[in-house]
Amino acid sequence: MEKIIEISNLTKTYRKRKSREVIQAVNDVDFNVYKGEILGLLGPNGAGKTTTIKLICGLLYPDSSEIKIKGIPNTDSRLESLQYISAVLEGNRNLYWRLTVRENLEYFAGNRGRSRKEVKEEIDKLLQMFRLKDKENELVNRLSRGMQQKLAIAVAMLANTEVMLLDEPTLCLDVQTGLEVREILKSIVSNYQRTIIISSHDMDVIQDICDRTVIINQGTVVIDQRVDELIKLFEVRSYRLTLTEPLSLDQQKAISTRFPTNEYVEDQAYSYLTVQLEKSEDIYQIFQVLQLNRTPIDSIDRKAIRFDEVFLKIIQGDHQYAMD
Amino acid sequence: MQWINLFLANLWKEYLEMKRYLPNTIALVLTFYFIFLGLFGVIHFFGDPSTQDVNIQFVIVNYIFWFLALSVIQMFGFEIVNEAIRGTLEQLSMSPMGIWRILSTRLIASTIIYGIIIFVLLIITMLTAGQWLNIDILSIFPIFVLTVFGMYGVGLMVGGLAIVYKQIQAFLQILQFLLAGLTFIPLAASPFMYFLPFVIGVDLVRDIMIGGQTLIDIGWLPLTILFINAFVYFIAGLLFFNYCERMAMKKGLLGQY
Repeated sequence: MEKIIEISNLTKTYRKRKSREVIQAVNDVDFNVYKGEILGLLGPNGAGKTTTIKLICGLLYPDSSEIKIKGIPNTDSRLESLQYISAVLEGNRNLYWRLTVRENLEYFAGNRGRSRKEVKEEIDKLLQMFRLKDKENELVNRLSRGMQQKLAIAVAMLANTEVMLLDEPTLCLDVQTGLEVREILKSIVSNYQRTIIISSHDMDVIQDICDRTVIINQGTVVIDQRVDELIKLFEVRSYRLTLTEPLSLDQQKAISTRFPTNEYVEDQAYSYLTVQLEKSEDIYQIFQVLQLNRTPIDSIDRKAIRFDEVFLKIIQGDHQYAMD
Repeated sequence: MQWINLFLANLWKEYLEMKRYLPNTIALVLTFYFIFLGLFGVIHFFGDPSTQDVNIQFVIVNYIFWFLALSVIQMFGFEIVNEAIRGTLEQLSMSPMGIWRILSTRLIASTIIYGIIIFVLLIITMLTAGQWLNIDILSIFPIFVLTVFGMYGVGLMVGGLAIVYKQIQAFLQILQFLLAGLTFIPLAASPFMYFLPFVIGVDLVRDIMIGGQTLIDIGWLPLTILFINAFVYFIAGLLFFNYCERMAMKKGLLGQY
């Protein structure tokens, strides 16, 4: 696959204004972005996601290393590299609120050196695609938040760049608009062959539309993997056993020794044991413990895991385990 | 062609915003006119009657250039601060045309719009004062363009400060008085005035509009000095702005307010 963005050993530090304390925002970050993929950039607040996005956009200069956009270093040849990138960084704040929907699209296209005449048809198509046609002459400050967000994405689309960066594209949107935005993003990739990088806290969005995710924590990349593989990785190792008799204290002790993160719950009818296995064959160790008292097993289920649980596990330091 | 499209987009936007903020635009024009009426009244009622005509003409030209200098020089700073508050500054910075080009074309666009307003106001003020200045467009235009070019250079410097520090409103207030000094004090007051931005341009326009001179009367030397002055200030402004933009990007200050 063709590399569109190459990031290697990226480092950025800030100095606090008053205390002059040095903050390491991004530390030795490495990853590539490939043509035609949707990449999810994840991380808790303050992890370095926005800094990374701004470094890719050329809005910040790195302390060391460089980012290449289609092979062009974005520090030395910043303006040239910007021909391939557009972004929605602050959602609806990226627009001129006293201009109409169409005027905003025309103005931003003009800022990239394109004439109103040249983009007229493209704007018509985008207004249809984003379902904003009936609002084209409405001032932006009179639009709903969802419509403003869609317009901001349409502005980035009109730039006709190969890569689009979207910082929290579904933030504060209602369910319906959020789903609509997801569908639009999917169609942008499939119908227009664009590459999208999304930074989001919405795990559903990442799970639904992203091919691959890069998780950043404390300025460092902790995971760079396909979303489906990542879920599978955690999913296959998380099992829930339903037992028809409770475990003895010795059995519970033995389980806890071998699987410290296990969860054991009893109710009147059944007992439930949930375990995370490092290797699939570790399940035989559980059978050995159950065999001690010949504890009957009612069922064994692979526990369905949500992407937000995967994310939390990784952020809490479980990533070494995931990377095995 | 990209430059022309960029300029037309910004001209269109300036026009639309001026139309959408119409009360603000009208208030600006009326304020300008009433301040002029005040100055006219002071000279008319309290000034020396023997030099009254020249004094009024002097005030008209200086006041118009002060207004122009204020608009052109402060606008870079105001635009950057406003864009940062709105959240669009980073978006503009992501254009492959570069932020200084976008803001420069916006500035040229608003200079044209303000130029038209100023011309209308000039006619009204001359009507009010009953004093008719020599409006020799052929002689005034090249000097005006060079003078404004130098003003853009100073505007870029102010823009550079705005991109790093953002909260420069207090500085812009003080700047008004500095600009008043540069436009009202005649060149003859000190030889050092030649080194200051746009002072020589304003002085040459005064020679044409009040003294009735032409480009030929002025001669090549003052025009060459004006050209060098404007060129040096513009280049210095551009270098300073780019330096400040780079510094803002290194320190992560671009989108902050």
